Amino acid sequence: MKFKYSAIAFSLIMGLSACGGSGSDDAAPIVPDDSFSFVATEMITNLTDEVIVDGYADLASKGEALFNATQSLINSTAQADLTAAQAAWKAARQPWEQGESHIFGLVDSLSIDPHLDSWPLNTTDLQTQLNSAVGFDADTIKGWNDDVQGFHTMEYLLFGDGVNNNTKAIAELTTREREYLVALAEVFRDYTKQLDDAWQISHNPQDANALPYAELLKQPGTSTNTIYSSQLAVIEELINGMIGIVDEVGNGKIADPFGDSMTTADTSKVESQYSWNSLTDFSNNIIGVRNVYQGEYTGSADKQGLIDFVAAANTALATRIGSEIDDAILKIQAIKGSSDMPFRQAILDVEGRKRVQVAVDALSKLQASLESDMLPLLSDWKAS
Amino acid sequence: MNSKISLLAMTLASVIGLGAAANANAANETDALAKAIAKQEAEIATLKQQLNKLTQLQVQSDQQQVERNALAIKIDKVADDVASAQNRYNRFSFKSYGTANYTSDEYFDNVQDTTPERRNRFDLERIVTEFGYQFTDEWSMEVEIEYEHGGTGASLAYDGFDEFGEFESEIEAGGEVVVEKAEIRYRPSKAFGVKFGNIHLPIGLTSTLHKPNQYLTVLRHKSEAAMLPAVWNENGIGVYGEISDFHYQAQVVSGLNSEYFRTYDWAASGHQKRFEHVNGDDLAFAGRLDYGNFKTGSAVGVAYYYGNTSGNRHKSNKLDVDGAMSIVSVAGAFVEGPWILRGQYLYGTLDNSDAITQANKTTPGLRPGNFAQLGSESQSFFVEAGVKLDSWINVPITAFANIDYSNPLMAVETGTATKRFENTWSSVGINYFPIPEIVIKAEGGLHQVAVASIPDTHFFALGVGYQFSL
Repeated sequence: MKFKYSAIAFSLIMGLSACGGSGSDDAAPIVPDDSFSFVATEMITNLTDEVIVDGYADLASKGEALFNATQSLINSTAQADLTAAQAAWKAARQPWEQGESHIFGLVDSLSIDPHLDSWPLNTTDLQTQLNSAVGFDADTIKGWNDDVQGFHTMEYLLFGDGVNNNTKAIAELTTREREYLVALAEVFRDYTKQLDDAWQISHNPQDANALPYAELLKQPGTSTNTIYSSQLAVIEELINGMIGIVDEVGNGKIADPFGDSMTTADTSKVESQYSWNSLTDFSNNIIGVRNVYQGEYTGSADKQGLIDFVAAANTALATRIGSEIDDAILKIQAIKGSSDMPFRQAILDVEGRKRVQVAVDALSKLQASLESDMLPLLSDWKAS
Repeated sequence: MNSKISLLAMTLASVIGLGAAANANAANETDALAKAIAKQEAEIATLKQQLNKLTQLQVQSDQQQVERNALAIKIDKVADDVASAQNRYNRFSFKSYGTANYTSDEYFDNVQDTTPERRNRFDLERIVTEFGYQFTDEWSMEVEIEYEHGGTGASLAYDGFDEFGEFESEIEAGGEVVVEKAEIRYRPSKAFGVKFGNIHLPIGLTSTLHKPNQYLTVLRHKSEAAMLPAVWNENGIGVYGEISDFHYQAQVVSGLNSEYFRTYDWAASGHQKRFEHVNGDDLAFAGRLDYGNFKTGSAVGVAYYYGNTSGNRHKSNKLDVDGAMSIVSVAGAFVEGPWILRGQYLYGTLDNSDAITQANKTTPGLRPGNFAQLGSESQSFFVEAGVKLDSWINVPITAFANIDYSNPLMAVETGTATKRFENTWSSVGINYFPIPEIVIKAEGGLHQVAVASIPDTHFFALGVGYQFSL
């Protein structure tokens, strides 16, 4: 017992003297060496080819399929044709929404995003166009404002106004709506093809000799690469892409219509409200984040992704971020509850709102980890 | 002690004794002579003194003369200086005007929204300073500097406690400081003058009537701002003059850039002021002929603008067709006794508007927004009518009614133009002049969009403006 007291006293004295001494101690503080090594070439190549380029190739082929599906509507009286066109719209929506986790590069520089996915839809002007006597063709529609074309205009024509249901009878589809749909789908197909070509063939549509954008991403720092100066710049772009969409889903797409109470909730701000596809959109956005993080599509064989970069620095953090991404996806999907409630109904439902809040919290947590834990790793990375 | 007293007594005795013993006559003559000499000497001394004084006075007088001469030279110089300063001052002119407003409008959140929300705002709309100098009878210059919305500012700060120490830049204010005019004029006669530099285009009455006492509404006419640059300035050269009651202007100026044309304000945002340099590959012509003077009273006038807009695009490979733009304006003013009536009609056309729209839509990074359809035709008009009530009541108040209409998307090359940008603002209000240099305005009105599903909204505005010139 006495020995213990002495030991405590001794350590106290040592501790106190250490504290007292520290003020006049001019030895440099020891900075822990957090630096880590990781060879990023394989990861960048894999993410570019297997996640990003594959995604845009998929979008282009789904765009072609959607165009074909709308063409069969021209003279059709079969409900199955409309159902098929609706399914083709949802199918095209998937690679686009997943691709929003890397919405940098050509989607931005060719200004393709607003042409494909402008929101909200301008139903007043759309009605004006539908009532006009002039015919529709793709070239004409390209010149019109983006709020009467793209995904959501097609959605409105295919699914109806979405207030009470997301179904539409083929008999309700007017001749002019069908013509407009076909022209819209053609414009859409052209843009998705242009985007795909720009990644795979030439990043400048005006210059056939320009490198494909995929090459610029895979070969940073070369003399011909005026976009990316280093692998670090590429990884920073990828991480910021993930942060961008997590922020948009949590703080924009979900939080904006959600409001701070049921009285301020606004269903008119819900994206994909006509098809009731909102929750699928949101979860696809975060699945896109997971694709970039894991380096492969869910269920595919393991390839290198950003998780390997994080794991090289901190394996616990790598696992934690992975599970936070999964958790956010699950919490978004859980908003529908047991009754398959669409998002536009959930924000007006007491229990639904609780589930929405849980999802928003999961997204905030993920965003904090990406910003505060993952992004700073770039300054510790010793590129080789 | 005794010896001293004895010595004094002896001296006294000898003086008295000697005087008594002298010859009385001889003594008298000598005295008289001595007195006369003394007197003369005294007089001479006095004369000398007077002479001295006179000499001194002469010297003083000479000095004073020198001083007076110096002073006279100084006075001449000061007089010259004053005259010259007065002359320079007369050649220098300084004017200023400004407005501050409070507005209350209803706005819509997005294109789907049909439930307007009210937003009240304050704005130090603009403070304008104009400096002019008349070098000679023929040559003069004028510079106008405008501070909009309280000016602008950016700052760079160093924060030593932020991580390893970081530089942070911040935008301090969201306004603008712009040189609105910087022109040199050569005017040998009333009938003919030349001006060059950054000059005002005579298109749109706002270019002529932009001081707060020169228009009745609280804000400048919305119809004009929704179609072309209000108080439009460009780089170029122009001739002007007045012959009897006719005023004419003809200019060759830098053109517009169609990259920045937008649905909602047609040519207005194509005004090249975003960059340090203005692209001058396409020039434009502007001309105006007025009968009477809009600035001082009644007048009628026509104006015309023509210019290509494709050559001034930064991305030159996006568009290979001309984007010729022409604008016609007809305006009239009747200002007589208590009555004020002014109006203007503007009509414009844009060639290849679809091709320009398409080029803009696929040009990366154009901000704000690059998804706008352009009108192949555009029109706007306003009519304002006022009556000065001080003819009937002893208060300097003018009551007015105003209507502004604009449709920058009057027609499109293909398809149907949306009516979303067809706006009408109707209002009534008053202008109160507590002193002639200051005007206090109030206005209330109705804003209508030509789309049936968009409800009409009401607006209210208060403003104060001043103008003076030295």
